[in-house]
Amino acid sequence: MSAQPAVLEVDDVVKVYRGGMRANDGISLEVAAGEVFGMLGHNGAGKTTLLNQVVGIARPTSGRIHIEGHDAVADPEMARQVCSMQPQAQAPLEGVAPAEAIELMARIRGASRARARRRTAELVEGLDIGAWATTKGERLSGGVQRLTAFAMAVAEPGRLVMLDEPTNDVDPVRRRLLWAQVRELAQAGCAVVLVTHNVLEAERAVDRLVILDEGRVIAHGSPAQLRGEHAGQLRVEAETVSPEVARDVARGAVGGRPATVAGRRVIVSIPVEDSAGALAWAAREQQEGRIESFSFAPVSLEDIYVRLVGPDPDTEEVDDAPVEP
Amino acid sequence: MRRWSRSFGLLLKWNLLRVRTELPMFAAVQTLIAAGIVLGFSLIIPSIDAEAALYLTTGAMTISLITVGMVVAPQIVAHRKAQGLLDYQRSMPVPRLAMLAADAVVWIVAALPGLVVVLGVAALRFDLAFAMSPLLVPAIVLVSAGAAAIGYGIAYAAKPALVGLYTNLVLIVALMFSPVNYPADRLPDWAAAVHAWLPFQYMAQAIRETIDVPAGGIPVLPFVVLAGWAAVGLAVTSRVMTRRV
Repeated sequence: MSAQPAVLEVDDVVKVYRGGMRANDGISLEVAAGEVFGMLGHNGAGKTTLLNQVVGIARPTSGRIHIEGHDAVADPEMARQVCSMQPQAQAPLEGVAPAEAIELMARIRGASRARARRRTAELVEGLDIGAWATTKGERLSGGVQRLTAFAMAVAEPGRLVMLDEPTNDVDPVRRRLLWAQVRELAQAGCAVVLVTHNVLEAERAVDRLVILDEGRVIAHGSPAQLRGEHAGQLRVEAETVSPEVARDVARGAVGGRPATVAGRRVIVSIPVEDSAGALAWAAREQQEGRIESFSFAPVSLEDIYVRLVGPDPDTEEVDDAPVEP
Repeated sequence: MRRWSRSFGLLLKWNLLRVRTELPMFAAVQTLIAAGIVLGFSLIIPSIDAEAALYLTTGAMTISLITVGMVVAPQIVAHRKAQGLLDYQRSMPVPRLAMLAADAVVWIVAALPGLVVVLGVAALRFDLAFAMSPLLVPAIVLVSAGAAAIGYGIAYAAKPALVGLYTNLVLIVALMFSPVNYPADRLPDWAAAVHAWLPFQYMAQAIRETIDVPAGGIPVLPFVVLAGWAAVGLAVTSRVMTRRV
């Protein structure tokens, strides 16, 4: 993947807003053609700020951004033409139906009338939004609006495609359809940047990723690389009968290993070779009626993410807290 | 230039699709308001001579264009700003001024039927005969462009919450306290001096003196001043639209 020349090169970008807020603090990354590149982080981690600098809505305080070797900071018009972006904000669909908006956007991006029509038909079918293709924007659900905005961005994609939270409000079935389209873009040679705070999705969809926290890159690599030392570990998750029991179970979990409690859930990581002992422990707790159910799974990217940056205050339960054995 | 006109055409199409249901209603209301100004003022002032009638008629047309450019257009921008749509527009690969022009043209064109109706109403009500010049067309273009450029300039520069306040103020000033519906010599000296710098009286003059060309011919000054105001408005708008935070 890295043998391909980089389409997007971000080099030591710092963005300090008026008022002193340091939104990006020395970010460097490269995205190659044919690659789906994830950018993960909490709200306020600096993801959208970085995207806005790439398309010339914001100007870096220092650092360099190049798209296909051209200076995007000096020439924002060029950046907007080479890069198709789906911003986090909803698209202006008032009074316009998805099929019309997708076709018009494709033409604005330079597609011929015939190609714009064909791509619109492909995307409407590919994302399964045919039932709403001629419904005006204000009557569409948030999810269909988001899918339409996605289709508008990718109908005539530039060499660089940037998607900011593309699956917000989208139902699980159509999310998969959207990921399939993202994969097709990469196969067609686009460099795709995907911003999300949904780690589970990112793990399946991206080739490489960075995790941003407070404007800095705190981890980068493929999902497998990031799991790294945890690759030989299992995640044991037990659903207990009550939060009080959960705390008690956590104290003696799998021979006193550090556990995390989230409501009635207890989560412990263990080395694979200890799985027999852990299974016996879980079965015993279940027999005693303290655990309702349990599961064993490989340590996920989400576990790593939470360990690196802490639980997302927007999406995680508030009572996630490690319990000392 | 090709990219500009292609973007403009496609954005114009987008805007027309977007407002296709509201547009006839907008044109109808705009026509009623313009005709209403002519008829309403003629009730307030019972005996109207030919000069006053000419002022009222052309003033109503000017107010109509001012309303579209300096009230309707900025309110739409403020609405979009409040909805967060501006950032979306900013990320689009189109020249910024093509976006504005495509926006303004829709509303200005929708105001045109009203202008024709006003002339008809005035001709019937006041028995007016006009010595119209073909320069009326560039006058309408310049007045509309100037009004929209200033309107956008302020809408982009001001906070959305203040735009409604500002547009009300513009409308009252233009309708009541500007030498649009009446000659400037009715104003106190200081107000007339202020209006020598504001665009309103030049807008009115450009329309009035191309609809009924005065004996001395059409003066150049209003066109120059309006071009200047349009340039300032576009410069501010363009600066705000392309500024990177």
